[in-house]
Amino acid sequence: MENVRAIRELPKYEGRFLPFPGWVHPKIRAVLERRGIRNLYSHQAEAVDLIRRGRDVVLTTPTASGKTLCYNLPVLQQMLESPETRALYLFPTKALAQDQMHEIQGLIRELQADIKTYTYDGDTPDDARQAVRKQGNVVVTNPDMLHTGILPHHTKWQKLFTNLSFVVIDELHVYRGVFGSHLTNVLRRLRRICRFYGREPVFICCSATVANSLEHAERLTERRMALVDSSGAPAASKTFMLFNPPVVNRELGIRQSALAPARKMAADFVENGIQTILFTTSRLNVEILTKYLKDHFGRGKPVDDMFIAGYRGGYLPSLRRRIERGLRERDVIGVVSTNALELGIDIGDLEACIMVGYPGSIASTWQQAGRAGRRTGHSVAVLIARSNPMDQFIAENPDYFFSRSPEHCRVNPDNLLILLHHLKSAAFELPFEKGERFGVADIEELLDYLQEKGVLHKVDDRWHWAAESYPADEVSLRSVNPENVVVVDTTEAGQHRVIAEVDWDSAFTTVHDNAIYMVESQQYHVDKLDLERRKAYVRKVDVDYFTDAMTYTNVRVIDSFDVRRGHNAIVEHGEVQVVRKVVGYKKIKFYTSENVGYGDVNLPERDMHTTSYWFTVPKDLLDRLPYTRAELIDGLSGLAYSLHHIASVLLMADIRDTGRCVGDKSGEWYVRHTAGGRFITSGRAGEFQPDAVQMDAFDPTLFIYDAYPGGIGFSDLLFKLHDRMLCSARNLIRQCPCASGCPSCVGPVLEVGARAKEVALAIIELIEMKDLS
Amino acid sequence: MSTIDRLRRLTGEEKPEQKKGADDLRIGELRRRIEQIMERRPARQMSSVVSHARPEAGDLREIAEGEEISTPYGKIFVAFDRIPAGHFHGLRRIGEIARLDMRKAAILAGHSVISRYNCGSALFIDTETTGLSGGTGTLAFLVGLGWYEGEHFIIRQLFARDFAEERALLSFLTETAKDKSFLVSFNGRAFDVGLLATRFILNRMDDSLSPLPHIDLLYPSRRILGHRLENCRLSTLEEEVLGVRRRNDIPGSEIPQRYFDWLRTRDVRLMADVLEHNRLDVISMASLIVHLCDLLSFHRVPEEIEHSDVLAAARLCLERGEENHSMCLYEALARVNNKAAALEAKKQLSMIHKRAGRWAEAVRLWEEMIECDPSHVFTLTELAKWCEHRAGDLNRAARFVLRALDSIGSEYPLQRELLLHRLERLRRRIKKREGEMAYSSSFTY
Repeated sequence: MENVRAIRELPKYEGRFLPFPGWVHPKIRAVLERRGIRNLYSHQAEAVDLIRRGRDVVLTTPTASGKTLCYNLPVLQQMLESPETRALYLFPTKALAQDQMHEIQGLIRELQADIKTYTYDGDTPDDARQAVRKQGNVVVTNPDMLHTGILPHHTKWQKLFTNLSFVVIDELHVYRGVFGSHLTNVLRRLRRICRFYGREPVFICCSATVANSLEHAERLTERRMALVDSSGAPAASKTFMLFNPPVVNRELGIRQSALAPARKMAADFVENGIQTILFTTSRLNVEILTKYLKDHFGRGKPVDDMFIAGYRGGYLPSLRRRIERGLRERDVIGVVSTNALELGIDIGDLEACIMVGYPGSIASTWQQAGRAGRRTGHSVAVLIARSNPMDQFIAENPDYFFSRSPEHCRVNPDNLLILLHHLKSAAFELPFEKGERFGVADIEELLDYLQEKGVLHKVDDRWHWAAESYPADEVSLRSVNPENVVVVDTTEAGQHRVIAEVDWDSAFTTVHDNAIYMVESQQYHVDKLDLERRKAYVRKVDVDYFTDAMTYTNVRVIDSFDVRRGHNAIVEHGEVQVVRKVVGYKKIKFYTSENVGYGDVNLPERDMHTTSYWFTVPKDLLDRLPYTRAELIDGLSGLAYSLHHIASVLLMADIRDTGRCVGDKSGEWYVRHTAGGRFITSGRAGEFQPDAVQMDAFDPTLFIYDAYPGGIGFSDLLFKLHDRMLCSARNLIRQCPCASGCPSCVGPVLEVGARAKEVALAIIELIEMKDLS
Repeated sequence: MSTIDRLRRLTGEEKPEQKKGADDLRIGELRRRIEQIMERRPARQMSSVVSHARPEAGDLREIAEGEEISTPYGKIFVAFDRIPAGHFHGLRRIGEIARLDMRKAAILAGHSVISRYNCGSALFIDTETTGLSGGTGTLAFLVGLGWYEGEHFIIRQLFARDFAEERALLSFLTETAKDKSFLVSFNGRAFDVGLLATRFILNRMDDSLSPLPHIDLLYPSRRILGHRLENCRLSTLEEEVLGVRRRNDIPGSEIPQRYFDWLRTRDVRLMADVLEHNRLDVISMASLIVHLCDLLSFHRVPEEIEHSDVLAAARLCLERGEENHSMCLYEALARVNNKAAALEAKKQLSMIHKRAGRWAEAVRLWEEMIECDPSHVFTLTELAKWCEHRAGDLNRAARFVLRALDSIGSEYPLQRELLLHRLERLRRRIKKREGEMAYSSSFTY
C-alpha cells in the first residue's frame, strides 16, 4: 500500500431542485416529465432563465450535471414559439457533434415538432448540404468547418444567419493555446457576419471546471458573460486514489510501468462485475491494454468480443456507436479508451475509472474521473502515475491536486500571425470599412500592410479582398504549423508507399538523415530527408539501436516587457529570438541504453520570434557554490528540465507548446550538448568553440518560451507564477526517491550528469536564501 | 516597436529601408511584364467608330467601343458591340439564332417554360472574375451580356473599373435583365449566376438573375459532344465543333491577375485581351445553342454530320422525357448510309417500341437489322426472346439463340453464359412440350 500516495473520500452530494419556469412550453414539460425530469437542478433553472432573458452565459458544472439541457431547453422553446429560429452548435470533435445531434433529435421526436437538426462537417454528403443550409434549425458543427466551410460562404447560409438566435460552444476548456486563439478570431468573424445580417445571437458556453472559466469565456467570445458555476445536481460518493508504481531501479529512478498496475486493478474490477473505464494517454497503449485484458479473460478460449473493448479515434463510427451502446446496456464491462471518451459522449453510469498516466491537466483528470459514478451508488477513480515529472509532481503533491483546480486556460487572439490569417479570411468574407474593429486591435495598420502585400485593395475607405486564393484554406486551427513531412517507405523498389506523416517541427528531430524511425515497432532507416519536397525516404531495417537527435537552442532577448526581483534572481518576460538547430544524433542501444555512436546532421537552423519568461542568476552568486562550472551547468539544465514540466502542468498546456533553454540574455552564450559532453559555448550554427567555456562572460539565464511564433500568452503568466514554480520544483526534486536525477525530476542522469539533482537543489536554495551577507 | 515592424520580424521579411527598394523593384517588374504582354500580341484592329472620339490617355475607349454610363449607384464603363446577322462566327452566321426552335431549346434546358418564349428574350451571360475558388471573396468585375434584336446580335460588356463600381454594375445588370425572360450561359448555373447571387446579397440588392429560367449549355454540350472531345471547355468546342479559331486569346487562368494588375496600374492595355476574350465567349454561346438545337432537329441527317452526336442528342431527349423527339432523331438516323449508326439507331428505336409494347414495330426493325447484319447478337437475342415469350415459337427461338452463340465472340463470357442458359431452358421446354404432345397424341390413338 505504500504506493498509494493518497486516498480521498468525496462525499455524497444532495441535489438542489427548482420547479420549471412558468414560460416553459407545456409540450417540453410533458416530454421531460415522461423522461422522469419533474424539476430542474438549481443551476439549470438559473441558466435557462438567464438565456431566456438574452444574457450570454458560461456554465461550469461537473460531468453529468445536465449541461446539455441548459441550452437545449431555451433553444427548443424559442423554436416552438417562432419556427424560423436558427441555432449554431459548436463541438470540438465530430463524434461529439453526432452524439449531441442524436440527443436533441430524440427530444424533438418526442415533441413531435417540425424542427430540423443536422450535423455539418467534412462527412456531410454534397447533396445533403443544400438542405442543411436552407432548412437546418439547429446546425451542429465544429470550429474548423465554421472557419473553412461556412463563414467564407455565408451568402449560401443567408437563411441561417438572418435567423440566428443562439450560438452554443460546448467543451470550452478545449479551446486554449493556439486552438483557442484561432477560435476567438473565428468568433470575431462570426459576429461580423451576424452584424451584416442584422443579428446578435446569444452565446452559451459550457466548460469543464478550470480556474478562470468566466475570464476564458469572455476572452473567447469578447462579450460580457454571466457565470453559472454552482451545481445543483446530486452526486454519489466517490473514492479517489493516487497510485505511484514502485521504483524498480533506484539509480536511474525508473519506476514500474503504469500499465502493469492498471492491468491488475482492471482485471480485479472486471472480474467482480464492476464496470470499468481505463483512460490511457496514447492510442498505442489502448491497444496494448485491451490485448492484455482480452488475453486475461480469454485464457486461450475466445470471449464475447464486446466484454472488453478498446475505443479510440480511428475506429469506424459504427463500431464506436456499438461500443457506446454496449456500455450503456452493460454488455461492455471493461473499456480502454484515449481521451476520446473524456468529453460528453453518453456512455451511461460506470463504477470505476482507472487513469493510466496523468491526463495532462487537472480539469481533464476530473472529467475522466467523472465518467465513473454519475448518479448511482459509490464509485472509485484511480490515477496511476508514470515516470515523467508531471505525473510525479501530481502523485507526490496530493494536496495540490485535490485543492481547487489551479489551471488557467490562456489564449492570445492578438498574436500577430494568427490575427493576420483571420483578417485575410474576414476581408474575404466582407470588405473592411475604415474605423471597423476586429476584436480589440487597431487593425488599420495591418489592413494597409495587407494592401501593400497585394492581397487587399483599398478604395473609398474600404479594403476589399483582391487575390485569387481562398485564405481560410491557408491555416489550420489546430496545428502550430500546417505543413507536414510525409514518410515514404522505399523498401520495395517501384512500390513506394506512405507510412506516416510527421509535423514540420518534429521532422527535424525524428526523420533527419540516418535517423531510425519507428512505426508500430517496425524500424526504418531514413535514407534522405527532402525538406523541399516535404518527404522523408525510409527503408525497413532491423537494428539493435534507436537514434536520439541532439539539438541546440539559443535565445536572444529582444525586448523586456517587465522585470522584477524574485529573491536573488532577476525575473523577466518579453520578446525573444529563438534559434534551434539539430546538430547530430546519438545511437542508443535497446534495453541497455548504451550510447553506441554519433552522427552529424546538416539541417538548416530554424529561427523564430516569440515571447518568453526567463530568470537570471547572477554569476558571482553562483560562484559561492562548491561546484565546478560544468556541474553548475548540469544543475541549471536539470532545473530547466523540471521547471519546464511544471510550467506545462500549471499552464494546462502540452509540453511541446513551450520550449526551454539555458544560456545568457545576449544569445551569445548557451549550453550545448555535444558528443563529448556539455559545454557553454558561443557562436552561431556551425562555429563550434569548445575552448570558449568562459563562465566569466556568462550570466546564467533560464528561458521557458512559447513554441508558437509571436507567442501565445504563456510568458506573462509564468512571470507571475515564478515563485510558485520554483517552490514546486524544489518539492518535486527533493521528494523524488531517485539517487541522483531521473526522468521524474531533473532528467535522466545520462543526459544531465551525475550531480545535477544535488546542484539543482542547491541553486534553488541559493536563489531563495534570505540573508546573503 | 510598431506592429508592422514586429510582423515583419515574425515573417522574416527584410528591413523596411530595404523594402522600399523592393517595392520599386516590384512595380518595375510589373511594368516589364505588361510590356511583354503587349509585344506578344499584334496591334488590335480598332474599329473605325472608336477613332473619331479622341480619348484621353488611359481611356478604356482606346481598347473598346463603349462609354461611361451613370446608374443610380454610380458609374461603370460599358463596352458595346452590334454584330450584323450575316456575320460569320466560325461555320455559322450569327443571324441563325433568329430561327432558333424554342421547343428544342427547352429540351436543352430541361425547362419546358422556355418553349413559350422567343429567341429575342434570351439573355446570354458570361462573367470574368477575380478567382475561381468560389466563396464570398470573388468579384465578377466584367459581365458580358448578349441578345438578338433587330437583325443584330447586341453585346454589352459591363466593366467595374474598381470594387467601388460593383453596385452600379449590378444595378445596370438588373435593368438589362428586366426585358429578358431567360438566361443562356456556359456553366453559369453552377458558377456565374451563383457568384452573382452572392454579390447581390453582399450589396444588399435583390438578385434579379437566379429566379430566371436558365439554359446552361455546359451540360447538354457534355452529353451530346463530350464523347469525342478531350474536354468540354468552350474553347475546345469552338475549335472542334464551331470552327472558331481565336488568335492571341488570353488563357482564363491569367484573367484574375490581369485585373489585379489593372487595379494597380490602370494601364488600359491590360484589359484589352480580357474584354475580347469575354466578347468572344458571349458570341460563341450564341453559335453553340444554334448548333445544339440543330442536332435535336434533324428529319434527314446529312452525311457530313457526326452521327454519334445525333445519337447522343437522341439519348438526351429521351432522358428529358421527350420520347417523340427522340424517335424522330432515331428514325432519321436509321436512314443514313453509315451502317453502324443506322443499326444503333434502330436498336434504340426498337427498345422504345418494345418498352411501349409496340411489338410489330419492334419486330419489323429487328428483321431489318438482321437482314443488314445477320450475326447481330443483340438482335438475335431480342428475336429469340420475342419468339419464346410472345410468338410461342420455341424452335425458332432456339435457332436464333444458336445463331447468336455462333456469332458471339469469346470476349463476352457472361453474355455467352446467359445465351447457353436460355438455350438450355428452351430445350427443356421443347422436350416437355413434345412429351405433352406425345402423351396427348397417344391418348388420341
